[in-house]
Amino acid sequence: MCDSCGCDITPDHSHDPKIVEVHQSLLAANTAMAKKNRAHIEKMGAVAINMISSPGSGKTTLLEKTIEAIGDSLRIGVIEGDIETERDAERIRAKGVPVIQLTTGGACHLDAAQIHKGLHLLEKEPDGDKLDLLVIENVGNLVCPATFDLGEHHRVVLVSVPEGPDKPAKYPKAFTSSQVFIISKTDLLPYFDFPVEEARAEALQLNPKLLVMDLSATSGQGFEQWLDYLKEICRK
Amino acid sequence: MHEMSLVQGLLSQLHSLAREHNKTKVISVSMDIGPLSGVVIDSFQFAFDILSDEDPLTHGASLVIESSPATYHCCGCGAKIEEEEKPEACPVCLENLLSPEGGDDIILRQVQME
Ligand SMILES: Nc1nc2c(ncn2[C@@H]2O[C@H](COP(=O)(O)OP(=O)(O)OP(=O)(O)O)[C@@H](O)[C@H]2O)c(=O)[nH]1
Ligand SMILES: [Mg+2]
Ligand SMILES: [Zn+2]
Ligand SMILES: [Zn+2]
Repeated sequence: MCDSCGCDITPDHSHDPKIVEVHQSLLAANTAMAKKNRAHIEKMGAVAINMISSPGSGKTTLLEKTIEAIGDSLRIGVIEGDIETERDAERIRAKGVPVIQLTTGGACHLDAAQIHKGLHLLEKEPDGDKLDLLVIENVGNLVCPATFDLGEHHRVVLVSVPEGPDKPAKYPKAFTSSQVFIISKTDLLPYFDFPVEEARAEALQLNPKLLVMDLSATSGQGFEQWLDYLKEICRK
Repeated sequence: MHEMSLVQGLLSQLHSLAREHNKTKVISVSMDIGPLSGVVIDSFQFAFDILSDEDPLTHGASLVIESSPATYHCCGCGAKIEEEEKPEACPVCLENLLSPEGGDDIILRQVQME
């Protein structure tokens, strides 16, 4: 404890007028905005998930197939994050659900301020304000998106079979901050050395609370568990 | 990568602190960046060097980074282990399911200004 003022910030802090004690997270502004987003999404009556993976692990394809398979049982809306182009949003729009494309113009992750803007844009789309599930597809990148809370309720990290099973060990933050780990493109297991059980055990070692699923958007293997999970988090 | 945008956020926070305290020059900045924060300390330092140099408020300022350890909670026996690097197994019961707690902060601790 400090002798001059009795504070317990740091034992050796001085009362030098040049020194300002701050003790605030650099992410404080993002976290405050994420909290607002979460409240906003809840007011819409929806539950939000944030999908994180390296480029090309199959996030958009999984979403397309999910929208097809889930039919009328969940009303889905999507916010797409990419560095450039509207392409992913166009793929989702073709499935007939409300979607907003956010382009970060070079930034390697979405942040809560961008999602705040995206939520207001989404609400202006036809049926964009009547959702059960909001899916945010983050910029393809397994590192940076893990640091930024967007206001989601659940975080889902994907690794596809061709990427190999060492991703949890190499990029731990994405796995320690997620609730779900999906091993995608399991139809390719015959062609790649990807020991599913070892990858599962390694991810659980990092984060024992992770729900691990394996699935293929192409063959439909493992889809039932994924759809059940989505219905459960939306309580439908 | 995102270290750049974090440092941009830091610089704008330094500007508001300087305004608030009527200062014109930042001399040093001290931060605590946890081992599980997802921030590469060298990249953060590099981004700070480049961006602070361009800004009259922070030109020549020094950056001191500390890294407080994370706590790992053993899923077998409940032991709490404080380490910078994740241990292979629990030193008490040898269980290898260890759940991290904390260590993911990116904290601006103090700023020296004149
Ligand atoms: N074999 C196989 N290929 C798949 C599967 N899912 C996606 N793909 C293919 O993987 C490639 C990338 O898929 P996307 O869905 O665009 O991946 P993404 O994660 O959205 O990519 P970014 O948004 O660029 O990060 C495409 O060529 C898909 O056809 C799958 O389950 N099996
Ligand atoms: Mg995509
Ligand atoms: Zn980055
Ligand atoms: Zn133990």
